Amino acid sequence: MGAAAGYGQLNLEEPATWGSRNIDCFQKLEQIGEGTYGQVYMARDNKTGEIVALKKIRMDNEKEGFPITAIREIKILKKLQHENVIRLKEIVTSTGPEADEQAKPDGDNKYKGNIYMVFEYMDHDLTGLADRPGLRFTIPQIKCYMKQLLTGLHYCHVNQVLHRDIKGSNLLIDNEGNLKLADFGLARSFSNDHNGNLTNRVITLWYRPPELLLGATKYGPAVDMWSVGCIFAELLQGKPVLPGKAEPEQLNKIFELCGTPDENNWPGVSKTPWYNKFKPTRPMKRRVREIFRHFDRHALDLLEKMLTLDPAQRISAKDALDAEYFWTDPLPCDPKSLPKYESSHEFQTKKKRQQQRANEEIAKRQKLQHPQQHSRLAPQMQSGQAHPPQWSGHNHHMNNSQPPISAGPGHHHYGKGRGPGGPSRYPPGGNPSGGYYADRGGQGGGFNSGPYPAQGRGPQGGVPTSGSRAGASGGYGVGPPNYPQGGQYGGSGAGRGSNPLPGNRNQQFGWQ
Amino acid sequence: MLASDEDSQQHSRLEPSSTPRVLTILAFVLEKLVVRNDRLVDGVSREQGKSLDVFHGARPPNISIIKYMERIYKYTNCSPSCFVVGYVYIDRLLHKYPHSLVVSLNVHRLLVTAVMLAAKMLDDVHYNNAFYARVGGVSNVELNRLEIDLLFLLNFEMTVHSRVFESYCQQLEKEMLLNSTTLKIERPMISNAIDDVTEISMEDMPSSSPPQLVD
Repeated sequence: MGAAAGYGQLNLEEPATWGSRNIDCFQKLEQIGEGTYGQVYMARDNKTGEIVALKKIRMDNEKEGFPITAIREIKILKKLQHENVIRLKEIVTSTGPEADEQAKPDGDNKYKGNIYMVFEYMDHDLTGLADRPGLRFTIPQIKCYMKQLLTGLHYCHVNQVLHRDIKGSNLLIDNEGNLKLADFGLARSFSNDHNGNLTNRVITLWYRPPELLLGATKYGPAVDMWSVGCIFAELLQGKPVLPGKAEPEQLNKIFELCGTPDENNWPGVSKTPWYNKFKPTRPMKRRVREIFRHFDRHALDLLEKMLTLDPAQRISAKDALDAEYFWTDPLPCDPKSLPKYESSHEFQTKKKRQQQRANEEIAKRQKLQHPQQHSRLAPQMQSGQAHPPQWSGHNHHMNNSQPPISAGPGHHHYGKGRGPGGPSRYPPGGNPSGGYYADRGGQGGGFNSGPYPAQGRGPQGGVPTSGSRAGASGGYGVGPPNYPQGGQYGGSGAGRGSNPLPGNRNQQFGWQ
Repeated sequence: MLASDEDSQQHSRLEPSSTPRVLTILAFVLEKLVVRNDRLVDGVSREQGKSLDVFHGARPPNISIIKYMERIYKYTNCSPSCFVVGYVYIDRLLHKYPHSLVVSLNVHRLLVTAVMLAAKMLDDVHYNNAFYARVGGVSNVELNRLEIDLLFLLNFEMTVHSRVFESYCQQLEKEMLLNSTTLKIERPMISNAIDDVTEISMEDMPSSSPPQLVD
């Protein structure tokens, strides 16, 4: 069964000497990602014809030298070999200016050239897939992804690696339905190497657990499990569930959802470094079951255990794989049975969306009525034949349109740039506000504005029966893509598009 | 050179008697190695260890291994285990390239590079290359190059398991026990260094501006 998969396996075989091959061994096909860290390209191995992803390690920050995130990522990926962890195939170098870049005055330093990590190629990332207009995941599909995520993470944890940046855009998915953990740039080994303190400046804000937000510097695998819980809820809900803009707000959102921590539900919480600073002013009760009452019972049970405030009580990856959720109907589907989606890279879809937004602006100016905001769709309940992905014609017209507006610095899978600095750059105990990792920026609304509007018509029916959910008339808000949505889904400009922070990931724009 | 008044200023930042034992032991082990290897290399011109060429200076720097390590420790405030892990890296290098020798011409550069990498691997908060370059008396560009070379020479095998770490510690302690009863640690590097021109230049860190965390 799942929990035992890949237990304790290590990659001990010695690859060919890394760095011995040159970038000329590959033909770059197109750029599929962009970040401050460097570009990501899809490329073909000239010798084997194999398609790979090349992640450039930019070496132009002289003061920093070889980026620590890259060293850590390479070191860790070298020892991890698992079907649910991205495979680093080799490292190649370029000694001179490459064909696609203008020659820079390099002086005599040949290493002003670039270094590339060569990865197996993956078609999608989970967020990119989930953000597709009209696409909704089925329950068996969500179970399938969650199971793979937990299996990969369990493998990491068994090998004493904390990922420390679990989020949708770091979960890559290929057209065989396989999900793999990627971007180990913030990952590190725990307990073994070192007993010292760890930085709490890790994990993208929306997925960051309360113990880190409260300043903990000794922590373990439970931090990743919180992120998994956030992703799980996001997959079921159809949108991020804890979209804070800065640390204090993030904690607040967590408290509103999970209740406030105290010595009863989280022994020792009052001794966390920043507890007094962020201590809730009034006690709030846990509302996970209330807010997500439309989730099925087993999903809710599992989510409760993942979104447990006290890291010591939070469920482990191994135990999560044993949860009823994965062993009751509808069962997780076979990855191979999942639909193959037209290849899309966030980088590309982002460009498309930007073009789309431009078109939309024009449409608005033409006083088109009923502007609607697309929101990610909650899953289908059907366990049977999956609906084919609904590629509505809405953005097809874009595919051949003129070159898109230049995409801002953004996010790419295989690991993104992290703004101006990695976590090591922050002094310990630094000012916790700022939200450096809030790279998706704010999303208006939130769960705290009450139950979801009962506007979903539940066209698929099949809302599972569960006594506790009697009041949720209409069940899911799974309207067809064009269904007008108000409430927290609406709020023009409140979606991902309104992000003021630089370097943000792709934005989602309303479409009509 | 390290001035004594500046010594006392900087020491206030650290614990009293701030040199951890591991530095003393390591310096002892390395100096012994260097003395032996220098003798070996002496007659044989310079045919050894091509792979370590990049770490070679033109002449031995004018600072003993122990002083150099103390300097790194004092300014970078890295955890003492970084020195053990740095030593593991150097040892791995020598096992991987058996014809390579640690000699007085390369030991300093190997040390600063290895310790810096160890700090990058171990310490979530650490100084950047530019800072290590200043502390180590090499240029930023050179240290960056050394870093990449060391990474590739080690094939990015930077993990040191606690078991391995522990066995290195024990080995170092044994080494010290075996030798402490006999002679005092000799310091051939100091008597050697007649030149006042050194390739590794030790500027004093300005005491007015405390070292900055990596930005």
